[in-house]
Amino acid sequence: MAKKTYDLLFKLLLIGDSGVGKTCLLFRFSDDAFNTTFISTIGIDFKIKTVELGGKKIKLQIWDTAGQERFHTITTSYYRGSMGIMLVYDITNIKTFDNISKWLRNIDEHANEDVEKMILGNKCDMDDKRQVPTARGEAIAREHNIPFLETSAKANINVEKAFMNLAQAILNKTPGRVSEPNINIGTQDTSARRCC
Amino acid sequence: MAGYQQRLKCFEDLLEADVIDLKALRNLCFISGCPHEKSIRSICWKIFLNYIPLEKRKWNDVLQKQRNLYKQYIEEIIILPGKKMKSKESANGELEDHPLNPNPDSEWRETFRDNEMLLQIDKDCRRLCPDLSFFQQATEYPCEVLINSSSSVENLRKRVEQCVLQSETVAKNRLGITLNVVSKKRTHSDEYSVLPDGKEAHWEVVERILFLYAKLNPGLNYVQGMNEILGPIYYTFATDPDQNYREHAEADSFFCFTCLMSEIRDFFIKTLDDSQFGIGSKMNQLMEMLKELDRPLWQRLQDQELRPQFYAFRWITLLLSQEFQLPDVLRIWDSLFADSHRFEFLIYICCAILISVRQDILKNDFPSNMKLVQRVESEIDLRQVLAKARELSST
Repeated sequence: MAKKTYDLLFKLLLIGDSGVGKTCLLFRFSDDAFNTTFISTIGIDFKIKTVELGGKKIKLQIWDTAGQERFHTITTSYYRGSMGIMLVYDITNIKTFDNISKWLRNIDEHANEDVEKMILGNKCDMDDKRQVPTARGEAIAREHNIPFLETSAKANINVEKAFMNLAQAILNKTPGRVSEPNINIGTQDTSARRCC
Repeated sequence: MAGYQQRLKCFEDLLEADVIDLKALRNLCFISGCPHEKSIRSICWKIFLNYIPLEKRKWNDVLQKQRNLYKQYIEEIIILPGKKMKSKESANGELEDHPLNPNPDSEWRETFRDNEMLLQIDKDCRRLCPDLSFFQQATEYPCEVLINSSSSVENLRKRVEQCVLQSETVAKNRLGITLNVVSKKRTHSDEYSVLPDGKEAHWEVVERILFLYAKLNPGLNYVQGMNEILGPIYYTFATDPDQNYREHAEADSFFCFTCLMSEIRDFFIKTLDDSQFGIGSKMNQLMEMLKELDRPLWQRLQDQELRPQFYAFRWITLLLSQEFQLPDVLRIWDSLFADSHRFEFLIYICCAILISVRQDILKNDFPSNMKLVQRVESEIDLRQVLAKARELSST
């Protein structure tokens, strides 16, 4: 039997319009590098990264999806199993921001009710071409009660933080988590599950 | 090397005949692939895709006719509307039709729809085969009417710049922020450079072909991934040793792409996913084949819930073009196009790929296997896979 190398497995999903930089964000997070020369994602892609949070080794299984409408039938099938969804738009392209509500409806329709979400305004290094003010991103996030960050895969701004925050949010409601070391007793497992 | 010369000779002999022996040519190409020399590959592909007939004496006429037709498409779909757009810009004030015209017949509505599609095509063509410098280089044969900076036509490049600009302006207005309306040209310098006026990169030619195709096939439109299907065809024709073929690479690629799409377009149509020829049934076919040929491997994939949607969707839709380096893609397509039961062989290749990494799949956990099937190139020997696929398909 193979040795277990992690304590928890979290499944994350990246969605958003085509060209907003989903693949680049994932590449920055998983390989700490930036590459402008990514081919368009057709169907679905996949990366793994193990991180440490709250003293636990957490394996993040991250699915990267194609943005175009045609691929939705195959990409929406991943919504159901996901524990966290990263919704990405491009701050230099207002259309990708306008579509946020469409993507949120998709999440409502296809994902688990308690899925953790996060909205990311990517390409924030390109301020001279900005079409979406930070305040508008914050407003829509507040309206839906979803955490929000502006990121740049290129300049490495907030990328790690975004993934770690999302993972932390999932961990926070994971039954039997080690949140406060002093109250972690064997029996609280069931009560933690009941509370949500 | 003697073997190679001999093979070249076989091709030459077959292509010299007045009427091509299709069966023999298919067979030769299917087994050994096409040499690029002496335009053999580009001629074979044109024949296999039904662009040119078997009677050699008809080739010139057919090519001439189709290339003229292509010119006409450019005229009707890009030049004429481009001139109109340009003239509307200058004739402010007395427009009968304008961007906010709610009339469904308004040409602007169509223009906006087209621009949206064009932006998507533009995004994808800029990032076509990024490892290869070819598509970023200037073509020897740009479309003269369109690239001249003094031309009275709104060409696609300008249109892309224009619609990015327009949406910028709209965004500012909506926020009520008064900024100096500086007509800031979008600079592409940070990612992919645009060549100076008078020059055209190969990716821009690919973009034009896709735009025309989408306009002529409104039911299908443009779907991401079509660029990956057109790319290898255009590359083959635009790097042909024969100057005449290179010169007409754009028109010839357009028609060969159209022929190829007529056979595989169902993969691109969402509503056909579960129909007989849609991508869903192709993936099922692959799984059935694997179940038949290698039950333990099939069972392993079932147990791990490693569904064909995770990898075979892309393999099949793009005819494996994203899984391998371009030279290998061309070799695979030699066999695919030569296959007389069109694209049956594709499923055999997919099956052979899975079987060739069976030991790893049987041993690995789900994430490792996912990585493996998403990046098979580094794990397999293409020649062995093709040989295996031929073996599977002949039994």
